[in-house]
Amino acid sequence: MATNSKAYSLPSNVSPETVANTSSLLRIVSLALISGAAIASRLFAVVNFESIIHEFDPWFNYRATRVLASKGFYAFWNWFDPTAWYPLGRVVGGTVYPGLMATSGVIYNILHALHLPVDIRNICVLLAPGFSALTAWSTYMFTKEMKDESAGLLAAAFIGIVPGYISRSVAGSYDNEAIAIFLLMFTFYCWIKALKTGSALFGTLAALFYFYMVAAWGGYAFITNMIPLHALALILMGRYSSRLYVAYSSWYAIGTLASMQVPFVGFQPVRTSEHMGALGVFGLLQIIAFAELVRSHVSSKQFQSLLYASVIGAGILGTAGIVGLTYKGWIAPWTGRFYSLWDTGYAKKYIPIIASVSEHQPTAWPSFFMDLHFLIFLFPAGVAMCFKQLRDEHVFVIIYAVVASYFAGVMVRLMLTLTPCVCVAAAVAFSSLLDTYIDPAEPNVPKEEAEATEADPGAADAPTTPKKAKKASAPPPTLGDFVGKFVVDEKKPHGIFGLNTRLAVILNALAMLVFFVLHCTWVTANAYSSPSVVLASSNPDGSQHIIDDFREAYYWLRQNTPQDAVVMSWWDYGYQIAGMADRPTLVDNNTWNNTHIATVGKAMSSSEEVAYPILRKHDVDYVLIIFGGLLGYSGDDINKFLWMVRIAQGVWPNEIQEPNYFTPRGEYRVDDQAPPAMKNSLMYKMSYYRFAELFGGQPAQDRVRGQQISKTSPTLDYLDEAFTSENWIVRIYQVRKEDLLGRDLKLANAFEAGRKRKKQKPPVRRRAIA
Amino acid sequence: MAGHWGIQFSFVALILFVKLVSAEHSFENTAIVRTVDLGGSLVHVTTTYAVKALEDDSSIYTIALGEDEAKKTSWMQAKVKGQTVPLQLEKFGLSPNTGAFLYAVEFPKALKANGTANLVVETVQTHATYPWPKTAAQNEGQSLKYEADLFILSPYPTLVQRTKIKSQFPKIHSYTTPEGVDAFTLESPVTKSGATLTYGPYNNIPAFTNKDFTKSQQKRIAVQYEYGNPILEITRLERAAEISHWGANLNIQDNVWLHNAGPELKGHFSRLEYQSQGYFRRVAPHTLSSLSLHLPAGIHDVYFYDLNGNVSTSHIRYAPSVPKGSSSNHFSLFEFRPRYPVMGGWNYSFTLGWDAPLADYAGWDKESGKYIVGIPLQTLYPGAVVDEAEVKIILPEGASDIKFYPPFPAIENTISNYITYLDTTGRPEITLQYQQLTDRHVGVIYVEYRVPFSAHLKKPLAVATALIALFALAFTWKRVDTRIQK
Repeated sequence: MATNSKAYSLPSNVSPETVANTSSLLRIVSLALISGAAIASRLFAVVNFESIIHEFDPWFNYRATRVLASKGFYAFWNWFDPTAWYPLGRVVGGTVYPGLMATSGVIYNILHALHLPVDIRNICVLLAPGFSALTAWSTYMFTKEMKDESAGLLAAAFIGIVPGYISRSVAGSYDNEAIAIFLLMFTFYCWIKALKTGSALFGTLAALFYFYMVAAWGGYAFITNMIPLHALALILMGRYSSRLYVAYSSWYAIGTLASMQVPFVGFQPVRTSEHMGALGVFGLLQIIAFAELVRSHVSSKQFQSLLYASVIGAGILGTAGIVGLTYKGWIAPWTGRFYSLWDTGYAKKYIPIIASVSEHQPTAWPSFFMDLHFLIFLFPAGVAMCFKQLRDEHVFVIIYAVVASYFAGVMVRLMLTLTPCVCVAAAVAFSSLLDTYIDPAEPNVPKEEAEATEADPGAADAPTTPKKAKKASAPPPTLGDFVGKFVVDEKKPHGIFGLNTRLAVILNALAMLVFFVLHCTWVTANAYSSPSVVLASSNPDGSQHIIDDFREAYYWLRQNTPQDAVVMSWWDYGYQIAGMADRPTLVDNNTWNNTHIATVGKAMSSSEEVAYPILRKHDVDYVLIIFGGLLGYSGDDINKFLWMVRIAQGVWPNEIQEPNYFTPRGEYRVDDQAPPAMKNSLMYKMSYYRFAELFGGQPAQDRVRGQQISKTSPTLDYLDEAFTSENWIVRIYQVRKEDLLGRDLKLANAFEAGRKRKKQKPPVRRRAIA
Repeated sequence: MAGHWGIQFSFVALILFVKLVSAEHSFENTAIVRTVDLGGSLVHVTTTYAVKALEDDSSIYTIALGEDEAKKTSWMQAKVKGQTVPLQLEKFGLSPNTGAFLYAVEFPKALKANGTANLVVETVQTHATYPWPKTAAQNEGQSLKYEADLFILSPYPTLVQRTKIKSQFPKIHSYTTPEGVDAFTLESPVTKSGATLTYGPYNNIPAFTNKDFTKSQQKRIAVQYEYGNPILEITRLERAAEISHWGANLNIQDNVWLHNAGPELKGHFSRLEYQSQGYFRRVAPHTLSSLSLHLPAGIHDVYFYDLNGNVSTSHIRYAPSVPKGSSSNHFSLFEFRPRYPVMGGWNYSFTLGWDAPLADYAGWDKESGKYIVGIPLQTLYPGAVVDEAEVKIILPEGASDIKFYPPFPAIENTISNYITYLDTTGRPEITLQYQQLTDRHVGVIYVEYRVPFSAHLKKPLAVATALIALFALAFTWKRVDTRIQK
């Protein structure tokens, strides 16, 4: 019996029921703790700053939610917002994914019905952390289907604190992604469950959550294409089954009909290319199901081959039909955003607005490690392990991994869709590692092999032993040949001997986990918990100093300007102005109208004389710009200026040309050597207006560009400085009304300043007397 | 004092008025001295009447204010000189044939013929000044104008009267020199020494009996003077005081709409200018860049935010609780800067709140079995007038037998129901409306109520029931087989 020795002994007098109950309790407790950790680690932003909405888009979501909470769902549905995109306005109900607002609205109403009058802002702020706990749970359920409960718990713990997901779900980051990742994982779980059991109930559940996802996030197209891709792969692998048919058909039929109820989506599921894959697979499944049905009733071989041909023919016909419809224009071709997924240079060339958003840039390599830490190198291992058993659901993870990896490489923000898959795969790998090394059974020693095989009662004690034995003795057929080359002589036993080897590996693994936790905490605290509305710096004594210029300026606008004063700013600040200053804006972060944005870009990048009629035509009362030169805040408008130029150039290529804004040597300068187009541009003038005077004769230093600004301040004839925030980050200018005497404002100013009017023509020189 | 007087007063007033008519000639003012302390939003006026009785048993004395003056007067108190207890003051409103507002006070002891008394009447006028010139650039000073009637009205003949107008700041730019007052004085009608103007003395002013005097003899005077502090006006103040017996806590929260009523900013705000002013310590007087408030002692967890969230530019120095009823003037000092410097004509709204131990404000009366809580009416903002105030007092759930005693009668008061965290039936909420509160409107609203023991248990019982129901539901759900087919 020495051969079947254990590395350590397990208590044997515990009844299986106790084990089951205890493990169930432990699971619940661990899940509760994981949820707690997931929520708590997202609260850095609230603890360090305050309960505030972050960034830009969340401000719109928050504003919309407030409308929903105060005026009810129907008012929200029919909400026309005249203050956005002045003078066009925006039909909000039909141009948003309402899932996020509806969720908060429902929570708000439930809490108020229970006499818990929680402020809507706090619900919005804490929604993302709350849903991250649900994401952890749904990832647990999903991974449980892949491997087992222990892998599920690991996956839940990973997704709970992984920075790749935290980056979009800290408290205050009230954006669609906050609930979308939960919906993504739960839809996938329902799909896997439906596929495994062939249950129409789970298929319908998947469809319902798919609908919720469609209502919540534009990224629903990922599900729309992932599930058909999975189904197609299964069909091609010859794994068609009635379970697949039931699951897919119930998901697609109900899900598509449901998704069309969202006004913003409407008829897209039958009219755009992004959705055609799902329709095609649906059709293919019907054909195959029909073929299967016929085949089960007919035995003739000729008929079967005919059938085979007709199936392929129908498939080709269907594809041709779709292509034809696309060509005819019945089905919209791919949108620009979609093209930019295939060609990373596409957006920069054709749609500068999309390219100007930092989160649409390709991902830098270090950010993979930053966002995923050690999961990134466990991820391939986990995916490889999926090949071992290669059940239907493993195929799903493999496809998911491949697709999401590609997308994550293309766009920074799509790192978010990769993260759950990485967590699942890494959890599978990590839990296999732990399973292997925690298992106390030791391999047989060759000499006593015969005896060992005779008496093998020890195997029954350890539940994982048979599995392990299977792994060792019978490598999976798919990888059999490949693995066979490396597997050493079958006769020679292999496995883990002794406690020390186990401890060495397990302690290493635990150390990785500890470092992972430290890394996640550090990244979350330092990189992802800044509200970006409020900037923090530290005082000489180490205490926190809050730089609150944005809110200062927005609040000034709110309190001291007329309710209907139109504010022009670059589109980044549109939502914030609407949310915090409550004033109409020309353009905002919902970048649907390129021309309107280009108009603002043109006004900012042309000279005062050219910009003034544009401003007056759009009833602009105030122009708001962000200037970081004094403080060294690099996200300011001068640094974004080239995008304004580019976008304006896209619409008025004759009037605005990007090269004019560079020095002849191709440098981007704001100092004395700045090109005239730059120096005369409205943006430059507004940024540096009276800036040099602040230095009282000393050379004025722009701390962002690191350049010296010329001592003579630019002059403004058509605008007045109305407000500048404490650290000069936000500067607001008032647009002057036309001169009462009908003079040009420049001349009027010159007159008031007592300057003589410049003579238009040079004086006629007296002819020399001959 | 712009208070509404109850119906019961009008009856008393009627009787008094009858008395008054008969008592009209029973006094003579040997001297009246009016002192005007010029301020920003608030102007404090102290008038001392040296009264001589002409008949025996004269006890009811009538004070008159001109129409304009009465409109501006938001607080009024009469005392016999040297005494601390204020006299009962009855308001009669406009007397139609004289064009003056009449008030009556009753001396504690009736005067005999030729008996004398000194009556001190203090008033606070609100919105009595206005910026002049109406606009000022960022680097200019701030001047105000104050207008008043020259003569102090009285239904009794006055031997001599004078008006002193004092300014806190040394510069008085200009003032009216009244003309055509030779009938009352032979000297110069007005003298200026430093920051004090003295109108008078004027002799032998007749009692006004009809509008003729006000029309023919009364003069308007105006003073334009420099004022070195920003002029604060609180256009609206909402105070909510929530009493919690479970938390032994009194939460007070003020929503304040602040307005700088100084001269409107000419041109635009320049940060550069403001920063250089700050650097050379020459901030213009109409710029409100910071404020410090005296909050009660013993408070904790002060919060200060506005519609855009927390404002980080504030600082608090806590003072420990003082025993109830002690007259020590300990306070917690709260200093804050608004998000932006509030220039003339600008607004800034914010919310300021704090928690305080309930024991500092509440007591339990053993005899009646009632709780008595004193809620301060307002927190004073230096030199500010409160145009409109709404004070809400939220009592614990289940409070009954509610009585409240405000220090000044409110324009309107209501008791309604308010539901907040985990309430089942809601809490009684007392709402008091005020207008034109001044720095003299300090006081405590006493509220007395009874809370039965069962009411205290309401909340834990409700929560426990809800949780038990939840668990029971989960319990049955787990154990009932919901499958249709087996």
